[in-house]
Amino acid sequence: MGKENEHVRYTLKRLFMLLAVLALVATACGSDSEDTTTTEAPITIRWWHIQNSDPGLTTWQNVADEFMAAHPNVTIEITVQENEAFKSTLQTNLQAGDPPDLFQSWGGGGLAEQVDAGFVQDITEASASWIDNLSAAGNSLFNIDGVQYGAPFNLGAVGFFYNTALFEEAGIAAPPATWEELLTDVQLLKDAGITPISVAAGDKWPAMFWWAYLAVRIAGADGVAQAVADGSWDAEPFVKAGEELKRLIDMDPFQPGFLAAPWDGAEGSASTMNGRDTAMVLMGQWAPGTIRSNSADGTGIDDVIGWFPFPVVEGGAGVATDVFGGGDGFVVGINAPPETVDFLGYISSLDVANRLGESGGTLPVVKGSEGSVTDPQMVAVVEYLAAGTYMQLYLDQVTPPAVGAAINDAVQELFAGVSTPEQVAGKIAAAARGE
Amino acid sequence: MTSVRVAARTRRTPGQRRWPMIIGFLAPALLIYLLFVIYPIAQGIRYSGYDWNGLKPLTDWVGFENFRKIFADSSFIGAMKHNAVILVLSLALQIPFALGLAVLLNQRLRGRAFMRMMFFAPYVVSEVVTAVVWRQLMRPSGFLDHVMSGVGAEGLTQEWLANPRIVLYSVFFVVTWKYFGFHMILLLAGLQQIPAELREAAAIDGATFRQTFRHVTLPLLGPTLRISVFLSIIGSLQLFDLVWVMTGGGPINASNTMATYMIDWGFRRLQIGYASAVSVIVFGISLVVALAYQRWVLRRDVKGALTTMGA
Amino acid sequence: MTAQTRSKPKVVTTGGYDEISSRMTRVLLYLIAFAVLAMIIIPVAFAVLGGFRSMGQLSENPVSLPNPWVFTNYADVLTLGTFWKQFSNSALIAFLTTIFVLPAASLAAFVLSRYSFRGRESIYTLFTFGLLFPVTVAIVPLFVVIRQINLLDNPLGVALPQAAFALPLSIVIMRPFFRSIPAELEEAAAIDGCGPFRFYRSIMLPLSRPVLSTIAVIAIVTSWNSFLLPLVVLSDSTGWTLPIGVTNFSTQYTTDTARVLAFTTLSMVPALLFYLVAERQIVSGLSAGAVKG
Repeated sequence: MGKENEHVRYTLKRLFMLLAVLALVATACGSDSEDTTTTEAPITIRWWHIQNSDPGLTTWQNVADEFMAAHPNVTIEITVQENEAFKSTLQTNLQAGDPPDLFQSWGGGGLAEQVDAGFVQDITEASASWIDNLSAAGNSLFNIDGVQYGAPFNLGAVGFFYNTALFEEAGIAAPPATWEELLTDVQLLKDAGITPISVAAGDKWPAMFWWAYLAVRIAGADGVAQAVADGSWDAEPFVKAGEELKRLIDMDPFQPGFLAAPWDGAEGSASTMNGRDTAMVLMGQWAPGTIRSNSADGTGIDDVIGWFPFPVVEGGAGVATDVFGGGDGFVVGINAPPETVDFLGYISSLDVANRLGESGGTLPVVKGSEGSVTDPQMVAVVEYLAAGTYMQLYLDQVTPPAVGAAINDAVQELFAGVSTPEQVAGKIAAAARGE
Repeated sequence: MTSVRVAARTRRTPGQRRWPMIIGFLAPALLIYLLFVIYPIAQGIRYSGYDWNGLKPLTDWVGFENFRKIFADSSFIGAMKHNAVILVLSLALQIPFALGLAVLLNQRLRGRAFMRMMFFAPYVVSEVVTAVVWRQLMRPSGFLDHVMSGVGAEGLTQEWLANPRIVLYSVFFVVTWKYFGFHMILLLAGLQQIPAELREAAAIDGATFRQTFRHVTLPLLGPTLRISVFLSIIGSLQLFDLVWVMTGGGPINASNTMATYMIDWGFRRLQIGYASAVSVIVFGISLVVALAYQRWVLRRDVKGALTTMGA
Repeated sequence: MTAQTRSKPKVVTTGGYDEISSRMTRVLLYLIAFAVLAMIIIPVAFAVLGGFRSMGQLSENPVSLPNPWVFTNYADVLTLGTFWKQFSNSALIAFLTTIFVLPAASLAAFVLSRYSFRGRESIYTLFTFGLLFPVTVAIVPLFVVIRQINLLDNPLGVALPQAAFALPLSIVIMRPFFRSIPAELEEAAAIDGCGPFRFYRSIMLPLSRPVLSTIAVIAIVTSWNSFLLPLVVLSDSTGWTLPIGVTNFSTQYTTDTARVLAFTTLSMVPALLFYLVAERQIVSGLSAGAVKG
């Protein structure tokens, strides 16, 4: 009898023990990556980014350190390179079949080629829990045919940065809202002895911005998307864009040596703004920073700088809320361990986004982080982005590199006056069709 | 005076004993050369028959299509012309200039060692710095323009790097600036190997400097000079680094060379097959030039101190 | 050949130099040298002085002296550990490249210039291929080879290919020089029981010091400034060389030109110093002893 009780108690004990062990195992193995205490095999994540100076450099290091602290079995190996060096090294590594686990990407056509070649991972499912916290426009850059391959951390737009004092001097009351008004203002500036526009046609892509925005305004979002898809860059609206641009170019509104001017550097377009004799520059959101660093006292033209969006072209199919710009993000390499996506999720968290915004180097994309941006010009850009209805990625990135280069080349020829708008459109179309 | 005896080219014995020595001497060079140079080049040539963006597998064979497209592209033809211009200018201006300076530095001038070092300095400066500095000096209202205004030549100032018509010549100027030192030390070494006695003897016989130079120095400098010319020709055909960092081949392809064209298509536009085809063309042109040069010009340098050892 | 000494040579010669006696010509020569010097010193001074300015200064006032003098660029570069690490990496790779190229090239050039054997010209032509083919397109297959023999992130992975690519130029330059050493020397040596290798080592090499030094200088300077190959081979930043290090002063949007100038001026110094040292070898000339008949 006693023995029977003992037996039951023994069995119960065993049952309890079993349950206890099960419970322990459940907590240990069932937890998600945010608070793991397992003793899993060590994982290495190779992370390649291009923020090779502060504030980005330190911020990313901190982010990596924090993630490693929370995940003791994960080691993040960071390789930081300068932009152009990164492109070369990535290229050779990809060609040797050895992609990094997490690396810088600008999305669009370049990413599409990497997808085609099978170097990046589909993270649609793995990122589903947090991807919608990010701006849809930003996410779309890293989404090819419905599949998500990465996440953005920075999104910007191209607009006009201008010297308000010079505008006043020329008698311009308010920034132009239409293209015709812009042309009028350019004439007013010229009459006042001020160089209207600074453009870095030597680097080609800043010149491309002009043509691209006109294309977006005249052909509309659908028109451009169509051309990207089937190469119909010689359609009527694009020729018209070239013609409108030619009207501006014929007014001779640019700074001396614009055809060879780079964006950055002492002879560059940014530096020209510091001379305070040139009124405006059409550029991405990093412009004030570059202008500052090219100035002797480091403040650039912050005392008089202003921002206005690209004007509307009357009669064009595009609207004022079509945004032209691009961003930065990270994509996941094909051989990357699953923890990489978790890390990407951490990078995409609100807290990190706020830090990025505060540091001033980035316009973060996580919803709710807009407030972290304080610079008034940046706020203007962020608001423009927030109100945007459509995002057009830089033309030399949304298309494959070969087409992008053709666009840049052709537009430079327009600026140099050696090609007509028809020829420009034709050359781009020819390159897009692979001729 | 005795002359250098030309070794008889008779083969007295089959010379089989020589082969191990010859192979032994050649082995270290050939080994690393085949592995790191020939094999990659062969692979590179292989790519030229494909339409390849460097990422997807090597599957799109297109045969000679790349070559056809290259010759149909006006910017490539333009690039070829630019190379030709640089080549002619280098031979006409750069080599004589370097030679003159080498002779100069061979004199007993004061501060000669300092001058030698300074003349060689541009070669040591990296391309990036050269480009940064000269872009600065040549910018609108930059140093060069200031100097010209200073000497009253204001009307002659140009947009040195922005004017498509003259950018190539501006680039040539900087190329000369950078590389004349290289040719100079080459020619200097050649001058140094000419025994002093020959020139002493000529001087004692009453020759003027010019006569000595023409009849003694120049002929004996011949082999070195011909090498210098050869390298200058090849260098002009392959010109890349300086142009790339100074102008990127622009504006509007006005300073493009075949090599910048190739890199633009290969690394920027990711058309590696196409770029490989360009490199095959550049290689082909260089090869034809090199072989012709070797046959007609360097030929007589072949005769010479051929050893009779084991011949 | 013999040089009979006569009394009172008209021209004073010392150690193998000609003397241009006319004074006017000498003055003219000094002027020309001075002009060339100016054209060199000004850009180089620009680079050196540029490091003492800030980027903003450079942008706004390209032509003036530093005002104020900014010492932080040079100071930061010198005290920053990375500069010295990159410096030693560059030095190591340059050194390795040279000690591989000099023996390999001179041995090859020796037999290619003085011995006739079947296939000689073909092998010589094979070596010239390396001069003729644009290297940058071969970078991808080259990268794959280096990876396959496991020399990535290894100084040898840079030095060996660099030496291989330096071979064509070295051999092309050396061949005429080696050839110009008369056959009689070798025959005389043979009579004394000296085989080809002994001859090469004990007579040929010492006589060829000018050209060997020239090759060494070219190899070192080329290696010192080379960028693409080290960039793709050395991904670990502790192995980086100076040219890669300079890219750190550029970002996606802007370049700190003043820093770049300070950095590159400092990196230029060792190469120039090396040239200064080697230059004695290059111009010391042959003591004509061995060559006299």
